[in-house]
Amino acid sequence: MSMKKIETTLETLKADIGAFYKVDEHHFIVMNVVDLGGNQLDIQWFFSDYAQPCEVTMFTAKADAGVQIPSINSIVASAWVAEAELVDLMGVNIENAQKGFVLEDDFEGSPLRKVK
Amino acid sequence: MKLSGYRKKSPWILHYNAGSCNGCDIEILACLCPKYDVERFGLINTGNPKQSDILLITGPVTKRSRERLVEIYAQMPEPKVVIACGSCASTGGVFRPMYNIEGGVDQVIPVDVYVPGCACRPEQIIDGVVTALGILEQKTKEIEKSHILHVAPLEEDGQVNRRHMAGTIKK
Amino acid sequence: MATQYDIPVGAQHISLLEPLHFKLTTENEKIVDVQANVGYVHRGIELACTSKFKFRQVSFVVGRVCGLCSISHTTAYSQVAEKLLNLELSKRAKYLRILVLELDRIHSHLLCLSHVAENSGFEALFMKTMKDREISMELLEAVCGNRVQYDYSVVGGVARDLRPEVAQMVLARLNDFKPKLDDLREIFENNYSLSLKNRGIGVLSSENVKLLNAVGPLARAAGVPIDVRNETEDLLPWKEVGFNMVLGDAGDVHARNMVRIHELYNSIQMIENVINGLPEGDIITETKAMPEGEAVVRLEAPRGELFHYAKGNKTQILERLKIKAPTFSNIPAFIETFKGNEYASAPAIIASFDPCLSCTAR
Repeated sequence: MSMKKIETTLETLKADIGAFYKVDEHHFIVMNVVDLGGNQLDIQWFFSDYAQPCEVTMFTAKADAGVQIPSINSIVASAWVAEAELVDLMGVNIENAQKGFVLEDDFEGSPLRKVK
Repeated sequence: MKLSGYRKKSPWILHYNAGSCNGCDIEILACLCPKYDVERFGLINTGNPKQSDILLITGPVTKRSRERLVEIYAQMPEPKVVIACGSCASTGGVFRPMYNIEGGVDQVIPVDVYVPGCACRPEQIIDGVVTALGILEQKTKEIEKSHILHVAPLEEDGQVNRRHMAGTIKK
Repeated sequence: MATQYDIPVGAQHISLLEPLHFKLTTENEKIVDVQANVGYVHRGIELACTSKFKFRQVSFVVGRVCGLCSISHTTAYSQVAEKLLNLELSKRAKYLRILVLELDRIHSHLLCLSHVAENSGFEALFMKTMKDREISMELLEAVCGNRVQYDYSVVGGVARDLRPEVAQMVLARLNDFKPKLDDLREIFENNYSLSLKNRGIGVLSSENVKLLNAVGPLARAAGVPIDVRNETEDLLPWKEVGFNMVLGDAGDVHARNMVRIHELYNSIQMIENVINGLPEGDIITETKAMPEGEAVVRLEAPRGELFHYAKGNKTQILERLKIKAPTFSNIPAFIETFKGNEYASAPAIIASFDPCLSCTAR
């Protein structure tokens, strides 16, 4: 299982993923955020293909915390679950995603961030 | 036979998962099935808290399920027995330091029987349930004990005021 | 327009093992809209794995993500940690991992099948399936030492070796199990009463599977060939031990049952091949390296594709661990499948998804 890493930015993200993602060939795995410390986030989107042997493709973009991240739900219809979870756990600001997927409404802070 | 007799011979159990990993839940399910078969004690799994006598809880209590757990406990009629199944339900287990956990079940509601193990084995669950049957019988006797009233009952709108009556019982 | 009613299912419900809440909006008994609340079991394991536990302990902690497929989580984590450590396993350890993964698949699929039978109102079949499932539980106990939380895979290999007498016992008990599985297949395939509750109910089309990225038996029952065992060969030698893809076509509850039952036959065959061709070697490979860099691992759990992402920084504590469970990917497909079915079919449909909420919320 090989992994291909594609660097992108938040501005060109939707165009990149839109050009890459084919419903019949690719399978969206999950979205992930890594806190790099110092208010920097590494945002990752994972795809795999239906071929064998499969290849995992990772789109990655760096961003400051608090910047609005575009939602890819218009391209990948099932992306809202992963986005809703990250809004809770990482405290990121994703377009059209609400808090309250796994945490209570009165929960303060974002548990997986280095600075709470 | 009186109602209390049926309760002793056939206590119904209610199962609630408060945040468990499913390990203890499938062992409870295995208990209800032919190999271990707790139905020989008259136990039936029910989904309705208002008809059940024994509450089996698995898992540590998460923040979101706490309210539901207290609600279910409050809806069960007296006498009732609570069994905490598994290490996590008893103490919080490996999940105790995590941020969305309240702790073991006894942090939220009173627990009568603790069943240890990760996951608790069906034999241990049966042992816990049989212990719970004894406690249930004891609690039933406690409730059915007659009391002497030292003050005449207060009547309001043609009905006896039960709260006033309960306050006048001397222990 | 008819009046719409909201009917809740859960969080505590007789047909659910776990706290899962569905709000079903119904119109004349037909489900028109669904809202799912899956966060009741969120505990915060990802944070604990990257702050409280050392990376060798984490394989035991991630086992507690889910009791049904704990071996899948421990194996996936061990593999991702081995990638960070650049560790190559012996072939014996890989074969033993396949053995326990497939035994676990047998118990998990039988649990799901019994649950579908119970929620369809067929109590006797539920009891029969659970009785036959005990065989796989006994074998798991003999091989791993515990009935549910096995902790069999550790970073670098597996925790216990397979003794020859246990191997003989596994083969003998599986031979006993085969005629029972034939019986079960006969009932699930041909029983008229069960077919009324299962055939044509809860249909998910192959277009929707690809659109909503569903995984596991849910996707395979609709005819989409997505199985990680078919796609990867580098971590565990699936093709070598005789993996065959099982596909359905109708995409309904019945098709999911049949996919699970035929996968059981394949699992039994793989276990026999593993035991008969078990290579010699060490069961554990020691190293003093520290995890460094980032890695991903995909593994086929009983419910579908399991995905682990880990990032290490040359210390005992990992920097990030992300777990994506199969049910998490399937939530959009669940919601789509409910629509257009009758409310009375909802319990059977929920059971046929085989949801695992403690994986989903973690």
